[in-house]
Amino acid sequence: MKVPKVFTPVIRIAQFTIADEIRQRSFIVMFVICSLFIFMVRGCYQGDYRLDGQEIEAAKIIIMLSRITFHVIAGGMMFLAGLLAMRIFRRDRDDGTQSFILSKPISRRQYVSGKVLGLWTLLTVFMFVLHGIVFLITSVRLNIVMPEYLWSSAWCSINLFFIIVAVLTLSLMMPDVAALLCVVGIGIIGVVSNAFSAVSRTPIGQAILQHSQSDVSMWQVIDYAWPQIAGVQRFAVSFIGANEFGVHASVYPVINILAYCILSGVLLFRRFGKEEII
Amino acid sequence: MHNILLTEKSVSNILPAMIELKSVTKKFGSLVAVDNVSFSVGTGEYFALLGPNGAGKTTVVRMLLDFTRPTSGSLSVDGLPAERARCRAAVGYLPENHRIPTNLSGWQYLQRCAKLIGLKHDEAEDQCMRIVELIGMQGREHSKSGTYSKGMMQRFGLGVALIGRPKLLILDEPASGLDPIGIRETRQLLESLKNQGMTLILNSHLLSEVEKICDSAAIINHGKLMVRDKISSLVKDGDSLEDVFVRLVKG
Repeated sequence: MKVPKVFTPVIRIAQFTIADEIRQRSFIVMFVICSLFIFMVRGCYQGDYRLDGQEIEAAKIIIMLSRITFHVIAGGMMFLAGLLAMRIFRRDRDDGTQSFILSKPISRRQYVSGKVLGLWTLLTVFMFVLHGIVFLITSVRLNIVMPEYLWSSAWCSINLFFIIVAVLTLSLMMPDVAALLCVVGIGIIGVVSNAFSAVSRTPIGQAILQHSQSDVSMWQVIDYAWPQIAGVQRFAVSFIGANEFGVHASVYPVINILAYCILSGVLLFRRFGKEEII
Repeated sequence: MHNILLTEKSVSNILPAMIELKSVTKKFGSLVAVDNVSFSVGTGEYFALLGPNGAGKTTVVRMLLDFTRPTSGSLSVDGLPAERARCRAAVGYLPENHRIPTNLSGWQYLQRCAKLIGLKHDEAEDQCMRIVELIGMQGREHSKSGTYSKGMMQRFGLGVALIGRPKLLILDEPASGLDPIGIRETRQLLESLKNQGMTLILNSHLLSEVEKICDSAAIINHGKLMVRDKISSLVKDGDSLEDVFVRLVKG
């Protein structure tokens, strides 16, 4: 298949970005530590689980464990995405890569797209490999094949994309660490509003809130409009063991994050278009 | 008042314009870095952009490459507006403080450049090998850039500027960090490129070199264009370009 000419430099820049990141010692160390962590978790997939002397169905425990591991990996990767994205423009500026690329017939949009694509591909593959290790452990040790684990991983990559674009955009407006902390803050507020909104829907929660005369609707609005990073994770995880639990989460968080990806992407293009190249 | 000699028309009428600046002004807050500057450089012309530190030379170069946008006025390169990425297909650029990422060798850097402008693998290899020879870096091209001296970095920077056989070379202080042999070799290289129809915009403080290499020059001071003429017209009666420069800048 022939790649349209306009995408060729984007793909090239993405390749360079991946090669540059992989060559960083900190990235290799991070990858080794994460892989070791996953291998250490494999002990949890062995043995019988008993409660009050009664044997619990192993499959359910394993699925629950797999879901927790899934969240831990995805959460860790989101943080890593923020860490890598926050310094990417500064490093390119400092080592002359930015002026080198932009002095060629390459537009700023192509440069930014290449950077985002490279980082996103790298982190998605990284996350997929880690999730793949868990998938292999469950498949080999317990003969429980969960192909949905890999699908869920692919869904979670939407979050990675949002975090990369958001951190890159904010890193053009504020110091790198502040940009990372802002996006971490967005994630935390999302989780809190999500939890608050979920509790407020339960009968006990409604009774408490009526008693304390709190404004429930405000939290529900925030929960609805705020970037639903946690919601996408929940949606992705709902595929794991869906046959056992039979519950599928709402698809709304995916639409919400995709909308935020577009919004952040537009902001990133506009902001970088005005940037002074040094 | 400075003696302003604008005889641009006599120069630009000879050749079609490779670059053209029309009433370009660039302000950084209240600071006027470039003040209503207009001039053009013809195809095949070797042109020097001169001026004291902070005069606005690098800002002009950066505007030509769309690294920064003018506050008012317009710039064109090879007949296209400077903000169009496509016009940079004709341009090779060597920045003032050229750097190569420390994780790359000079060879990898050249290869990256060749791939970025869309050269096929074989063509990229050929050009990179030819350029390594041209810049005199055989035997060191595979060393990591962290081991290079400033002069070696500069040579690779010049090599990168030459990849893709550009029509216009923009060199910002190309002699920076080069030893006398390097300066001489660079001059010889530029002279050989002149025969191939290359256009050069040279931003340099080495006025003796400028005098040897360039056909014409413009002197900018405090963002204003003081003079733009052929070097042979500027330098008269046993004067050197340096004398003319000092006279114009110091008033």
